[in-house]
Amino acid sequence: MAYVATRGGEKAIDQAERLFRADLGTIDAGRVEAIRQSMPYLVDRVMGEASLYSEELAALALAQTGGELSEAVLVLRAWRTTQPRIAVARPVRQGELLTQRRISAAFKDIPGGQILGPTLDYSHRVLATDVLEGTPFVPPPVDAAERAAPQRQPSLADWQRAQGLVAPVDEAKVAPQDIPDLTREPLLFPASRAHRLQSLARAETGGVLALGYAAMRGYGNAHPTVNELRLAEAEVVVTHPRGTQFSAGRVRVSQAEVTSKEKGGYLELGYAATFGWNEVKVIAAATLDLNSDEAPVGSAMHEEFYLYHTESVEASGFCIHFKLPHYVTFQSVLDAMRDAKAKEPVATAPAEELQTEPAE
Amino acid sequence: MSLSTLTKPWAATSYGFLDASAKRELRRKMLKAIAVPGCQMPYASREVPMARGWGTGGLQVTLTLVNPASTIKVIDQGADDGVNAASIRRFISRVSGAAETWDTLDASIVQSRHRVPEETLGDRQILVLQVPNPEPLRGVEPNISIARQMHADADYGKLWLTLYEQIVRKGRIMQGAAYPSMVNGRHVMTPSPIPRWDVPKLNMARHLTFLSAGREKRLFAVPPFTRVEPLVFSDRPYRVEDHADLVCRRSGVSGYFMNELPIDGGGSAFEVSDSNLGIKAIQQAEGGEAAIGPTWYRNGEFSA
Repeated sequence: MAYVATRGGEKAIDQAERLFRADLGTIDAGRVEAIRQSMPYLVDRVMGEASLYSEELAALALAQTGGELSEAVLVLRAWRTTQPRIAVARPVRQGELLTQRRISAAFKDIPGGQILGPTLDYSHRVLATDVLEGTPFVPPPVDAAERAAPQRQPSLADWQRAQGLVAPVDEAKVAPQDIPDLTREPLLFPASRAHRLQSLARAETGGVLALGYAAMRGYGNAHPTVNELRLAEAEVVVTHPRGTQFSAGRVRVSQAEVTSKEKGGYLELGYAATFGWNEVKVIAAATLDLNSDEAPVGSAMHEEFYLYHTESVEASGFCIHFKLPHYVTFQSVLDAMRDAKAKEPVATAPAEELQTEPAE
Repeated sequence: MSLSTLTKPWAATSYGFLDASAKRELRRKMLKAIAVPGCQMPYASREVPMARGWGTGGLQVTLTLVNPASTIKVIDQGADDGVNAASIRRFISRVSGAAETWDTLDASIVQSRHRVPEETLGDRQILVLQVPNPEPLRGVEPNISIARQMHADADYGKLWLTLYEQIVRKGRIMQGAAYPSMVNGRHVMTPSPIPRWDVPKLNMARHLTFLSAGREKRLFAVPPFTRVEPLVFSDRPYRVEDHADLVCRRSGVSGYFMNELPIDGGGSAFEVSDSNLGIKAIQQAEGGEAAIGPTWYRNGEFSA
């Protein structure tokens, strides 16, 4: 009774939303700006999962959902999908990236050098409780290196190709507007490589981590070696209707290339890239990419499995939809169950007898 | 002729929320779905301002069909005042200017979750069913690529086998809602989780039915006058829920699908699931002028 009584129609919906919004209080430009400035990695994660690069809109989405990540990604995606696709940017090449961090675990040193860049990797993870005691944490200044690292770094895989360690690039000649676009087409299997990488780029970080970790831990064939990991900024180069190419701005990107073992005379590579700086996601995603070609159908390493189940908006939406009333379907189940119970003595009879029973 | 005469003034969102490219893709897929009844058509399934699993597939189809002259009815579990039905209805009318109604007879588009209304739909009406899982083979084959191949081969042996096993184990087919049904003698579809009571309403119906799963990005259709036959064995006839003799405690109507409400001290009360049919029956009993149209079931027997 109580559940049925919760149908209150429009007024109930309206008031329930008001309760949620009242808890969050007034949202103004200042709050949005504070989120953008203080939570860059959270903003990056949301931009990646929404496949929409706008720090401001991502911060706004976080503000208006109170940091409910799947809701924030959903509002951004729902806004994104209404926007026209006005241009296709020039493909980004590794050698052109303004690279801030670039490391390889495959070699002690690599052409261009290992650039640690900004990272917490070697920090001691100590909670700065002094801040709560009234002592603000002021980051110590960074000492400038004697020699600035080069802004652009060559691709390690290119060096490996030159050495015959990695297969030559099989560059498909596809016109920019013909590149498959996952946001405008359904994902079908076997997925095109473009769709697979796009789907991983917008996948839910936690989901990719869980399945990628499963692959690393032993449910996959390939244990990844990080061939190259980059955090960088990419110029978005588009073509003006008059024909001139220009940069419309820069976006933060992460990309990971992982390798495992020899296949067909070359090192196999797995690859992933996403908007924003999100190392865990690209390493896990590249590991899934690396493992998927040999994965048994139905396994968690098979592309159909991991692409479907790391889709943030679909997974979270389906999970929360179970809160909706299901009493009609439940009634239908109850009806069959009661009837079967009433028939139970018949059902336990030998099968031969059962077949001679009248249908009712 | 100038550019301004060829274009519309700028607006934050397109008419009916979806932009023209999304609608164009949906229209193509909807026409294909009509051309191959019961066959699942993949579509891009844009994000809409509602969570996946909450009717986004039905919503995209409705937003593509709707125009300012439309009258829309949205029900969840048969009820117009369910919170999600109210939310969807409000959204559709807000972005399209279409009129809202609770009355099945007045609606040009009925978007529904889990029910087909009890009043017979006519050839000027379109039923849009929200579908959580469009794949009738999911239970026997979770891999969608293999399932597609099985549909292509009309290979439904595993489905028949599960139904047979249920009879062997339990003495009857235990499938509750979403009863797998053969459409036009070729494709098996899941009629979305409508109860078994509602499946015969799709068979050789006068109205067009779209079934759309936004999360799973598949839509399919049952065109008018198309056979929809539940999978049954010749010696085990199809059985709808045993609701023919139940009486609605509020409206007094009987012979329709009912909601069961547990009552204090044991036992159950029943209320008609098609809530607006119940409302109209009460209005009639109180001397009002509510018109109840012909219904698919008469005296608890399917008779359309």
